[in-house]
Amino acid sequence: MRWSSGAARVCILGLICCSILSRGQQAASGSVSGESTPAATTSAPAQRPFVILIDPAHGGSDTGALITPTAAEKDINLNVARRLKQELNARGIQAQLLRDADVTISADQRAASANSVDPALYIALHASSLGPGIRVFTAMLPSAGDSKGPFVAWEIAQSTALDHSKAIQAQLISAIQQTRFPVRGLIAPLRPLNNVRVPALAIEISPTTGDAAQVAATGYQQMVCAAIANALSSVARANTAVRP
Amino acid sequence: MNSRPFFVLTCCLCVIALAMSFYVWQVRRQAVEESPPTPTPEVVATPSNAIRKQVTLWVAHDDIGALKAESLSIVTSSERQRQAEDILRALLSVYTAKGSPHSLPSGAGIKNVFFADPGLVVIDVNSEIVGGQTSGVLAEELTVASLVQTLASNLPGFSRVKFLVDGKEGNTLAGHVDLSNVYDVAQYLDFVKQVSAP
Repeated sequence: MRWSSGAARVCILGLICCSILSRGQQAASGSVSGESTPAATTSAPAQRPFVILIDPAHGGSDTGALITPTAAEKDINLNVARRLKQELNARGIQAQLLRDADVTISADQRAASANSVDPALYIALHASSLGPGIRVFTAMLPSAGDSKGPFVAWEIAQSTALDHSKAIQAQLISAIQQTRFPVRGLIAPLRPLNNVRVPALAIEISPTTGDAAQVAATGYQQMVCAAIANALSSVARANTAVRP
Repeated sequence: MNSRPFFVLTCCLCVIALAMSFYVWQVRRQAVEESPPTPTPEVVATPSNAIRKQVTLWVAHDDIGALKAESLSIVTSSERQRQAEDILRALLSVYTAKGSPHSLPSGAGIKNVFFADPGLVVIDVNSEIVGGQTSGVLAEELTVASLVQTLASNLPGFSRVKFLVDGKEGNTLAGHVDLSNVYDVAQYLDFVKQVSAP
């Protein structure tokens, strides 16, 4: 009885050792479940996927601006967000929507969701009748809020990522300018940008013709989304973060 | 029970009550007659502290999404707080005029401007501004920044700004620009640099 128990322990230990050895061999040969994986992934930090979290602003009881008598900003934002997600996915970039329905979400809830998802980039989408073109905003941080040690005040949570946000803003604007689409980079006291602790931008889409109805038009939305997605794909290439 | 003493007592009490009423009325009448006449309030002339001041208004232009400086002469008080209110009211009168480059409803106004220590200015706008403001990030920011920049360029000496709506804290101007926090004036000046037009 005592012998059989000891033999069982040896067998279990042997199985564990075999398992570890076989995993090590698989990693060294660069193949897991038939998929090609760089051998460096075992020794160097893993490449962090550039995930973009798209937040169609407003929603539910918060309609946002009335762009035309029949088109509320909240609906335009959601349409543009869905198109942008498709365009990004088509370019091999992971994108998620913070809201994919007509629901009310507070600024604090949006920031909490963004911080929980921890994307490489958070983008709040807005629409406006005031032209022309695309405006890309970074946060204007309020002067309120004291950070205590490692805890950053909620009002200025963006402060740790603001330099990165501004760098991405500059890259995005530069890439959009190459398409000759009118684009501007600005700062704005706009929530929840200042509460998000990852790189965060707000993009406001407006007409180029002076006719607000253009923003609600499918063709225009598609063109704008393609321009932004192209720019974001070059930003993603330049900013693919390395997971520590 | 014999009712006669009761009747006499009641009559006596009534007579005493009437006598006391008459006495009080006499005393009151005498006091009114002897009191000095109420002085007629004199019309106090407004101190001649009204001054004419050349001010710079930073006017928002929706068509180009920018702020432009315009010079204007206004009559105002020599007192700093009144000056601040008059300067901002002059700016809003540009926005409420017909054909304005950044239209606001006719009732849009400034209720108060307070200079609070240390270096904080509180601008209290009325709810008509909020109701009639074009909703949008840039449209709202142009309104707020034009107020801050106009005040800062004419009455410097404050570093932070807070907006109230009808004396109460508001969340946003018209759904976008945050009014719930205190912002550094320097931040608004950075924005003004981004949108200043020659």
